[in-house]
Amino acid sequence: MRKSKGQSATLNTFGPGAQAAFHAVLGLFALLCIVPFVFVIIISFTSEDSIRQIGYSFTPLSWSTQAYTYVFQLGGALWRSYFNSFLITFVGTSLSVIICILYSYPLYRRDFRYRGFFNFLSFFTMIFGGGLVPTFVVCKTLLGLSDNYAALIVPMLFSPFNVIVMRTFFQTTVPRELIEASTIDGAGEYRTLIQVVLPVVKPGIATIALLNALAFWNEWFLSLLYLTKNMDVMPLQYLLMRMQRNADFLAKNAGMLGADAAKAARNLPSQSLKMALVVFIVVPIACAYPFFQRYVVAGLTIGSVKG
Amino acid sequence: MKKLFALILAVAMILTVANFALAEDLPVITIMFHGSNVTDDTAVLEAVNAYIADKVGAKLEVVWGTWGDFDEKATNALTSGDSSIDMVFTCSWSSDEYNTYAKKGYFVKLDDLIAEYGADLVAAIPESLMQAATIEGAEGMGIYAVNGFKDTATQNTWDVNVTLLEELGYTLDDFKAMSFYDFGDLFAKAKEVKGDSFYPFLVEPMVLERMVTGSIIVAGDSGATNLLSLYLNQEDVSAEGPYGNVLLNKFATEEYRKFVEQMHIYYEAGYIDPSLAVAETSNDTRTNAQKSGEYLIGTQSYALGYEHQASEERGIHVEFVPCTAPYVDTTASQGAMMAISTASEHPVESFKFLALLNSDPYLMTLMNYGVEGIHYTLNADGLVEFTDERANYSPWTNGMGNVTILPDTAAEGAGFREAFKAYYAEAKAIPSLGFVFNNEEVTNEMAALGTVAAQYALALDAGALDPETALPEFLAALDDAGMQTYLDAANAQLAAYMAAK
Repeated sequence: MRKSKGQSATLNTFGPGAQAAFHAVLGLFALLCIVPFVFVIIISFTSEDSIRQIGYSFTPLSWSTQAYTYVFQLGGALWRSYFNSFLITFVGTSLSVIICILYSYPLYRRDFRYRGFFNFLSFFTMIFGGGLVPTFVVCKTLLGLSDNYAALIVPMLFSPFNVIVMRTFFQTTVPRELIEASTIDGAGEYRTLIQVVLPVVKPGIATIALLNALAFWNEWFLSLLYLTKNMDVMPLQYLLMRMQRNADFLAKNAGMLGADAAKAARNLPSQSLKMALVVFIVVPIACAYPFFQRYVVAGLTIGSVKG
Repeated sequence: MKKLFALILAVAMILTVANFALAEDLPVITIMFHGSNVTDDTAVLEAVNAYIADKVGAKLEVVWGTWGDFDEKATNALTSGDSSIDMVFTCSWSSDEYNTYAKKGYFVKLDDLIAEYGADLVAAIPESLMQAATIEGAEGMGIYAVNGFKDTATQNTWDVNVTLLEELGYTLDDFKAMSFYDFGDLFAKAKEVKGDSFYPFLVEPMVLERMVTGSIIVAGDSGATNLLSLYLNQEDVSAEGPYGNVLLNKFATEEYRKFVEQMHIYYEAGYIDPSLAVAETSNDTRTNAQKSGEYLIGTQSYALGYEHQASEERGIHVEFVPCTAPYVDTTASQGAMMAISTASEHPVESFKFLALLNSDPYLMTLMNYGVEGIHYTLNADGLVEFTDERANYSPWTNGMGNVTILPDTAAEGAGFREAFKAYYAEAKAIPSLGFVFNNEEVTNEMAALGTVAAQYALALDAGALDPETALPEFLAALDDAGMQTYLDAANAQLAAYMAAK
């Protein structure tokens, strides 16, 4: 279709005033998203003296790279936990995406006899959880999930929410005709899934992969529960969270602990160090976003049957 | 594929058999501590295990709980019946609260074990601490945890920056003669000299409230914000207070009103940092100002000898001026204990270990200070001097047990432990020592009251709210949330306790 100048100005567009207003609103929103992160970076480069005197500020009294020097001095422990975070996220995301696809695909196929049952089985766990202690007992005593990588990955492998998202995605983007056509062409179940269906649902896969990657990357509670003696498998998030929780605890119990709390508070890491660790945590996942984003946006607009 | 599978199975079987062969070694007992800062315990555990192999007949493993994660870890281990944790820290203020958990049957009753293996332990720990640990648990009256011998009395003090005080032309004696209500001139002078952005009064608002009104924490009361007050007899803490053994609504007394009115005056005059009135920033602000010595008068719950450490850390001359005599209450006398989990498969070995830890100076020093030559060295006077390695091995000293059998450190000076023991041996017990409010029947009220109190109490205590308008509002909100029910339940229990005592 040939577009004339006159058409493009009237079709699906707004006048310049409205344009400007939308840009202003969206720009403001984008700014609101980015400002906290910029603030964190500024604080991580702020000197302790400045924080002590005027608190957090966009324009600190003096700058310092002390927090980063300290982070690099943490050495082995830091890089180890950084590596753990990557490993857990990579393995966890890959496995959970595979599991999610393999579970939701049959739920989409109408010719699968036990659809209702398996649908219910997964949906049920969204409403009724086992509770903290029973889950802990099952994971630790029954499955032996403690002090190992598995403890930080296995409990999060299956997400009913993602299954529902994925099933719905199958239903809306993969027409039944596609399955029938590949069956007629002689493809078996595995070939149908891997070569015919999966390429169509790439955007869906990217979406749940992103959700899973975020969940694994930000996870610290599992470490708190299941890591007791072997701290070598600890992810970076838990390292940071532990500092934060220590500080919170001492703040809350200062009255009870008295001089002990004051002594312990001396050993707490500085504010700028915490922010430096936040930077370490946020940067990789922020870098991963654009790659996923392409598919996520694509998922909103495409379908498999054209025309 | 089948071959591979068979191979894996075969390997798994061999590993299992090998595992059983290893298991003939000593049983492993695991202890979970609170508040540790430990990243490398290899050298210590090696030495400990070599030492206890014959004496205890077990191998020790340690879970170094930190301040932030202990509560979750301990409650999970205990409530899930995790047999891999044998001994666990407990006290009157942690989530695995001693009295509650003993009543629910999570802790082993130790009386028989003490009778059989505990002679050294009984000799090492004062009778009063054994009594403080004797409570009504799941298996009747008895001792359910080994009570740590530490600073067992509470004493609230003024934390005085003497360097600045003298700069302003006052002496420490001048200060000692003042009461909370006449600090005004002193603060005004400090403000004049140090500039407008200086806040002379660096308080822990809730602690200050207890100091000024002469009230204490009631064990079992709502945790984050206390709701109940028990007033001390300021002259003689072992005698009944001005209201007798009656618990009061902390915020409804005349003393409290007078206190918050004065605080509001100080706050309005700019003597108190506004961020002290906000829960999220209060502690950070205080710690930072303390570190840099940027304050004149603060509050501190005291432990003997802390002034030396504080002076050194802050680079100023710090003195702690007592507000009351040290008193022994339930909270302090159950401040750090070690219990044996009922899920433990080795309660006897665990108890033997705890008894040894609390009575054997070598083992306690090893566990607490680390290995001589690695984590510390002894100087010419035989005092402990820590090395840099100590940073990788810093358990919470007071959380481990009997700290009176530790050697003196160079920072504390020779004779410190003896003085420490004598100081706390003299502390008197309050009349209602041992009373713990069992809040089970009023948990709903407590939750509602806690929310209301979180909204007002800190800001009022710090002087940020005008009591003229805020206090009546606060009291009305507390009444609506069921304060009277809560109070009645607590007082009925206290009366019953005192009658039985």
